[in-house]
Amino acid sequence: MIENFPYGKAPFWLVFLALFSSVVLFATRQRAAEARADLTLATFAVQHHAAYKKVLPEFERQHGVRVGLQLVDMRALQTRLQNAMLAGTEVPDLVEIPDGSIGYFTRGPLKDVGFLDLTERIEHEDYRPRIVHSRFSKWESRGRLFAVPHDVHPVMLVYRSDLLEALGIDAEKLDTWEAFVAAGQKVRQDFDGDGVVDRHMIDLPSAGGFGLTILLTQRGIGLFGSQGEVTFNVPLTVETMVWYLHQTHGPQKISTECGWGQSLMKAMTDGLALFYIAPDWRSYLIQTDVPNLRGKMKLLPLPAWEKGGRRTSVWGGTGLAITRASPKQDLAWALAKFLYFNPTELGKRFTETNILPPFKDAWDLSEFQAPSEFYSGQRLGAEYAKLAPETPPVWDSPYSGVAEGKVSEVFLRAVGHYEQRGDKGLRELIQRELDAAESYVNRVMARNVLGRTP
Amino acid sequence: MSAPKQLYRGWAPWLLLAPYLAITLVFTLYPLLNAAVLAFYQTNGPVSRVFVGLGNFRFLLTDPVFYKALWNTCVFAVCSVFLQLPLSMALALLLNSGNDRLKGFFRLVLFSPNLVGQIFVGILFSVLFTPRYGLINRFVQELTGWGLEEQWLGNPALVMPAIVLTGLWVYVGFNMIYFLAALQGVDKSLEEAARIDGANRLQVFWNVTLPSMRHVVVFVVVTSIIGSFQLFELPLSLLPASNGRGPDNSGLTVISYLYEVGFNSGDLGLGSAVGWVVALIILAISTLQIRLSGAAEEA
Repeated sequence: MIENFPYGKAPFWLVFLALFSSVVLFATRQRAAEARADLTLATFAVQHHAAYKKVLPEFERQHGVRVGLQLVDMRALQTRLQNAMLAGTEVPDLVEIPDGSIGYFTRGPLKDVGFLDLTERIEHEDYRPRIVHSRFSKWESRGRLFAVPHDVHPVMLVYRSDLLEALGIDAEKLDTWEAFVAAGQKVRQDFDGDGVVDRHMIDLPSAGGFGLTILLTQRGIGLFGSQGEVTFNVPLTVETMVWYLHQTHGPQKISTECGWGQSLMKAMTDGLALFYIAPDWRSYLIQTDVPNLRGKMKLLPLPAWEKGGRRTSVWGGTGLAITRASPKQDLAWALAKFLYFNPTELGKRFTETNILPPFKDAWDLSEFQAPSEFYSGQRLGAEYAKLAPETPPVWDSPYSGVAEGKVSEVFLRAVGHYEQRGDKGLRELIQRELDAAESYVNRVMARNVLGRTP
Repeated sequence: MSAPKQLYRGWAPWLLLAPYLAITLVFTLYPLLNAAVLAFYQTNGPVSRVFVGLGNFRFLLTDPVFYKALWNTCVFAVCSVFLQLPLSMALALLLNSGNDRLKGFFRLVLFSPNLVGQIFVGILFSVLFTPRYGLINRFVQELTGWGLEEQWLGNPALVMPAIVLTGLWVYVGFNMIYFLAALQGVDKSLEEAARIDGANRLQVFWNVTLPSMRHVVVFVVVTSIIGSFQLFELPLSLLPASNGRGPDNSGLTVISYLYEVGFNSGDLGLGSAVGWVVALIILAISTLQIRLSGAAEEA
């Protein structure tokens, strides 16, 4: 037969291999399908994956089921989920979705959202009062809840207590931004006289970025409101931008930008900046990445904008959603509750991540009250938990990226103006630019024909 | 010829071509046609869509952010052609005149950035561009007395230069390989004859060497421009916090814009329209270049 095959033996074997591998692939797929888990949970966070891996056997034992746990990169998770929903192919039963990505899935009419509406389940099982209220906002669209919050992520400042004490500054007195800036002027130092400042008060991105967003959030200014309306164009935004501009540019600035990863850790070790913005998750990164600073770091609530004002903000978030295509939604809900509303497990998980869960019942556990050696004996969990009820709500939108870009544009135009002309006409310029930015975002949003319908 | 053999001859080519045809049909032709249709729809998230006619194109052509993305992409493309390619050519000429052992070594060294992914390159350069501690900042400071604290990836004026610099590191060696191969195919006797006739090095290069490798040059220019218009991973990995946009959209490219509207904002219809506009731009530029080079050849 091989001899009779046209073009000789090689094409014959190519065809044979193609057919053979197809049969093998089909057969192994069948076997894999038989061994498939009853529930599949996909997450993007390595720490979550490790923590869930430990506790899932208990859930499997309780319910007599098998749970498949997948770890997928954050960007890949979103893209794959989008594509799977688009193509109508298989999706996990439960998915942990990162901050800023729910908007894509809730862009269309509510009936088309690919996630299960959890509003009734949360209400009927009386979970709402037991969870930090503000944390629902991120996962809501038009008043409906599509994921349960994993975390609170209250923001504090982490600081080099040894250096601050050496300068004779009492951190407890830095309770307003005004006091903070005044102290910051004393901190600025050029040790070697080369004209480059070697010590700054705080690490803030000079282009706005997360620093500006966190401070706007602290003042209750979000990009979008609960109904998806634009909310960033308010007088307080102008004030905050001017303040931020003065602290990050010009001769009187009190900040520098320390970047991320290794450069951030080097800056911390060198004492390039004394204060660093640190939500709960970042406090963990700091303690693992710069262990040599053990006992030299402390936490401080954010200074308030006015005496007695809010001392925190939020940065980031993860939510757990159940896909509408899941054939076992009740079982998936049981798993969600097991992972997110099980105080014992949350205590253990806190010690491994420093991430404060929004489930308030857990906060009395010993793990949350334990003093942290790294943070000079401060009770890390209790410190963050104290601020959690104050955290402001933040609503996500499919247009968050567009709005962020526009707000950043406004700030950078203000920087350009300030560097050339100083404060003269600065506020007016920011207001004009904010008006234009709002108008642009509204124009983009107005294109969404289907999103307007319920 | 026997009957079974004739039968084989009839279907065997189709059978062998079948995998390629199936893959092309499913993964190239179908998406292409589907994208053409989708460009006339507005999609909202993964499920819903509504016909909007030319609405997507109308929006696109009046969107300042798209123009910003187009401008950034064109700047990168111009730098590719006028910075990258001359550098590649210079390196190729240098290597072509060196001894064979060194040639092989430097060819590998200069080509090696291509052996790593663009994401890796982006992450590497984001460390090199770190204010105060980054190697590039320190090097520039030592050289010029400026730049230690510069925010290459935070200052809108410096973002595109940073992307171009990173692109240079990746692509110069890649294009050099093409030029080197073309140089080795140039007829040495023609160059020799020109030299005997009194032409200097520059004249030999300009009048003999370059025309002899014109086809490769046109190919490299066209592929560089196409590659520049597809720029996506580098800004994304250099500026991950803003999804590759950078401050004031200074790092936004047309493909990043496409990704943003299609996959972050959820309007695949608008994303498809962007894709088609980019395809038409590339087609127009490439056609123009090929025509111009053809005209030059005829002249």
